[in-house]
Amino acid sequence: MNKFSRRFFTLLVLFFFIAPVFAVNTLALGNSLDAVSKEKTAIVYLQKMQKAYTEKNYEILYVTSLQSEVEPMQLLHGVIDGEGLTYIRYLNGAIRESLQSSSQISYFEQGNQPYTLATNVDRSVFAKITHFNYKAGLNSYSYVVVGKGRIAGKRALVIHLISKDPYSYSYMIWLDLKSSLPLRLDTITNRNLLIEREEVVSLFVTEDVNPWLMKISQKRLPQLVHINKTKSKSLWKLNWLPPGFKIIKSDQHKLDSNDNKSVSYLMLSNGIVRVSVYISAIKSATGKEKIIQHGSTLIYTLKQGRREVTIIGEIPIQNAQRIVQSISREKPWHKKPV
Amino acid sequence: MNEHNEQLSALIDNELDNTQIMDALVQSVEQQDTFSRYHLIGDIMREEAPNILLDIDFSAFVLAQIEKDNQTLEVPVDFIKMKKNNILSFTKRFGQYAIAASVAGVVVLTSVMMSQPNGSNTHDGLEVLSTIPLGGAASPVSLRTDTQESPVLTKEQKKRTEALLKDHQLQIQIQP
Repeated sequence: MNKFSRRFFTLLVLFFFIAPVFAVNTLALGNSLDAVSKEKTAIVYLQKMQKAYTEKNYEILYVTSLQSEVEPMQLLHGVIDGEGLTYIRYLNGAIRESLQSSSQISYFEQGNQPYTLATNVDRSVFAKITHFNYKAGLNSYSYVVVGKGRIAGKRALVIHLISKDPYSYSYMIWLDLKSSLPLRLDTITNRNLLIEREEVVSLFVTEDVNPWLMKISQKRLPQLVHINKTKSKSLWKLNWLPPGFKIIKSDQHKLDSNDNKSVSYLMLSNGIVRVSVYISAIKSATGKEKIIQHGSTLIYTLKQGRREVTIIGEIPIQNAQRIVQSISREKPWHKKPV
Repeated sequence: MNEHNEQLSALIDNELDNTQIMDALVQSVEQQDTFSRYHLIGDIMREEAPNILLDIDFSAFVLAQIEKDNQTLEVPVDFIKMKKNNILSFTKRFGQYAIAASVAGVVVLTSVMMSQPNGSNTHDGLEVLSTIPLGGAASPVSLRTDTQESPVLTKEQKKRTEALLKDHQLQIQIQP
């Protein structure tokens, strides 16, 4: 009896010691589950936004603002016979318009010959965030539903895309709770500085395609401009890629038809931004870096060794600097560098 | 004064007989000035004015003003030398306009180039490159430099940057 009660007591004590450990464990598990499910919720909203952006008929008036410049714009989107058509125009200053279908884009500008380019890359205002694979993007971004807000008179859900490394910008996305269409996009540095904003001021979602858009869809487009395909690959390679980025193009081409020298060219993308890397041979290097920043667009040039590297894209400076340092010759030198 | 001027006007038009008033008018320096001005107006109206008188030189004044402005432009360059490795937003700086304009010239130049059609060769590279105006125009207005060099891009650098920027805009659109 005495022996039994003693054993019971030990068990009881043991239980009290162990119980909190279990409790903490389950709590932690619950938290991480919660974060994952929250991330999943964000992804569902973001995917709904992507679908709405490409499948709905709508008209938006928006402003893009970077530094002290504000540019009011108009966008019409319609789906005609299953194909999306986007019309964009500047509302102030010279008349600048574009019309984009799934396979080409036409540019019209006051005083210039209009032209058409074959492309399947969406050039519209929220294209960055509406063609991104959010599930795969979890490796380099985390998604947080921040809360609710009101944009353009609509109730909006705010989602924060936080870059997991300092080599990409973070974004804040506002989307309409009713139509799921994007209403605002803020580009934010890792120091939480706002550097660029695209914001809708008026949104109309319609059942039918805008009649005017319907009409211009039947018009003949300007002449298609042919761009010569290049065969050769870049003479230089990158030994480091920013997280989430892949090389999507590598070639040598001339910047200008009058140029006699080609530059080596590499294009990097993480699904949100596209970055160009230009490498050319120069006679004298100064080791000087030149940085031009306009909103989120960076133009970074470094003359080093016997080469000049220029990186253009919507990336932080750290990214460009590290890319430049990682550049090396694709093959060993065959002859003395020119 | 107006009354005097009226008398002066009458004098010019040979309608004044009173010599006393005439003497008074001639003795007043101010009135003499007015007299010459009225005469000039009359001469111009009758198209008799000698050219020399009309040679009013603004250029000296404008040049002086420009020189004054140029002096103020030197200030930010020194400022930059002091603040190495810092991104400067020139929009808030003295003389920002000249720098912003020269860097933004990347875009300005682009449109200038575009508006000069090179014959009818629309298949040629040059025209193809003119994709900036719509594709998220880049007209850089802030610039960082960590060297002793002036941040203002030279003409050659501007041309180069412009060419690269145009090519970037084109490359991100065409098929990989």
